[in-house]
Amino acid sequence: MARISLRNIEKRYDDVVAVADCSLEIADREFVVLVGPSGSGKTTLLRIIAGLEHVSAGDVLFDDVRVNDVDVGDRDIAMVFQNYGLYPHMTVYDNMAFGLRRRDLPRAAIDERVRRTAVLLAIEPLLARRPRQLSGGQRQRVALGRAIVRDPAVFLLDEPLSNLDAHLRVQMRAEILKVHRAVTATAVYVTHDQVEALTMGDRIVVMSGGRIQQVGTPGELYDRPANQFVASFIGTPAMGFLTCRLERSGGSLRLAGGGVHARLPAEPGLPIDVPDGGPVIIAIRPERLALSRGDERADADVVVQGSVEVVEMLGSEQYVHVRVPAGSVTARVPRDEPVRIDDRVTLTASARHLHVFDAETGASLAYPQMAPSA
Amino acid sequence: MKPARIVQAIALALALAWSLAPVYWMLATSFKSELEAAQLDPTWWPHAATLDNYRGLAGGTLPFVTFFANTVITCLATAVVAVVIALPAAYALSRARFRLRGSVAYGILVSRMLPLVVLLAPLYLLLLHAHLLDSILGLVVGFATFGLPFAVWMLKTFIDAVPIEIEESARVDGYPRWQILLRIVVPLIVPGLLTTGAFVFMEAWNNLIFPLSFITTLDKQTLAAALVVTFTGQFKTDWGGMMAAATLTTLPLMFAFFAVQRSMARGLTSGAIAGA
Repeated sequence: MARISLRNIEKRYDDVVAVADCSLEIADREFVVLVGPSGSGKTTLLRIIAGLEHVSAGDVLFDDVRVNDVDVGDRDIAMVFQNYGLYPHMTVYDNMAFGLRRRDLPRAAIDERVRRTAVLLAIEPLLARRPRQLSGGQRQRVALGRAIVRDPAVFLLDEPLSNLDAHLRVQMRAEILKVHRAVTATAVYVTHDQVEALTMGDRIVVMSGGRIQQVGTPGELYDRPANQFVASFIGTPAMGFLTCRLERSGGSLRLAGGGVHARLPAEPGLPIDVPDGGPVIIAIRPERLALSRGDERADADVVVQGSVEVVEMLGSEQYVHVRVPAGSVTARVPRDEPVRIDDRVTLTASARHLHVFDAETGASLAYPQMAPSA
Repeated sequence: MKPARIVQAIALALALAWSLAPVYWMLATSFKSELEAAQLDPTWWPHAATLDNYRGLAGGTLPFVTFFANTVITCLATAVVAVVIALPAAYALSRARFRLRGSVAYGILVSRMLPLVVLLAPLYLLLLHAHLLDSILGLVVGFATFGLPFAVWMLKTFIDAVPIEIEESARVDGYPRWQILLRIVVPLIVPGLLTTGAFVFMEAWNNLIFPLSFITTLDKQTLAAALVVTFTGQFKTDWGGMMAAATLTTLPLMFAFFAVQRSMARGLTSGAIAGA
């Protein structure tokens, strides 16, 4: 069993702050994903949990016991590295058994554990081979097997699928989740791929610039992003952002400018703290936008008019990128919708699906008419 | 053929001639008679080739086999000692993060740049006080002192090329640093260990000034010093014999070099390729 607590974690490398003031609680047996772009601090945070990096400030606790000064080998963790970290001069069997031999387990017990894990991961025929004789997917399984065989309290996985091709990545995602259910340990998984994060995590931690931007379930992050960064990072294709003016008139709000017209019913005490005429940033998920051609202004809450810049055909649907003076947006439309580059189009949506962000800070501005998270 | 290629070929030929001419001369002279080797008008090749010089080494009064054995033992011991001492130093320089790491590394490099003769007096005094003068062990200490900085730097390059994740995996598995070095790193850098040892071996083999200074008993002398001491007399020099001895002295080095040359080239470039 292992609950992990990170309290005000900071990590500096000379003048560079890699991780700044990060606090996080991970429940026992939870599968938490740290996601963010390169340089966001997610791998550094994972290595701090492992004990491979010392914190500059803050505390790491396992089951409420401070482990800052506990050596990595004594933390009861297992780690799968991005480049697998297999021992090239040992067979697959020895790679998996190496960690167990350190614990002075009887040979028979080591053999039983290694073979049981090999069966679980379908790598039993590979036990006599060396890593250089394995494919990428096989090496990944061996790296997983080496972690599983130790029966740790915590699994740490640092972008384990990034070196695999797309097809194998999808396959291995499912494998990892199956294995996690079988071993019932706490898992912290690092990835830069938001699709991996959404499909795998019980909860997702979005990081950027060394700071935690938002923590939540996949649904929470997708429906209620805390700021513009999370909104743009989560979801495929990414949301487009439009800058417009906020106008208050007769108890309702209007957003206008640069090809955008939106009317929003106001609630008393609406917490959008933006002066009349001030700028805000709006965005809508691509699947919430309906496309119609020409200049007709539909009777919709949100109307965006612009011209088609790029059309991406994905087989079952199309991504239509539309340029408007206020910015650009992307709509997901059926594949048989006849859209061409330079077509004038109108995109409409319901106010329920509108995201509003502060133009200066990028923070999400609460809006009571937004749909609750699924 | 383009003019540039012709110029290139001529330059290469000249460079080759410059490098190989002494080797050819050594080989040719070793097959000349005493008279032909000593005559004022030199001959480019032996007109009456003879094996007398080699026969003289094998069955003559000089203990050539003893010199050869002394050199092999001393240089092998130097290579082993230097590699064993250099390994943990190289590992620390490669993996440890400490404040004066850069200064220590450059200090080791700078010490390598000192001329051999600068170490002579202090080493002589050290060996004198340790009662190691005129001994194989004293010579090993002297050779290893000079060869260590190079061994540290060369081994560091090989260790830098070992992916850090492999060692981190072993740390996660609970192994301490010294066991990671012995059980993970060393097996992966065996070519590097052999190459470094070969370099130190070759350097010690060619060292003339330390044996001349620290060894006084002829029977304990190494080949390089013995060539100078025994073949040059007050009134004449046995050029044929000296060149035969020099040829036999060079042969083991050539074999050692050809055996490890691929690893050497890898060792010299692996640092750059890995970005170390």
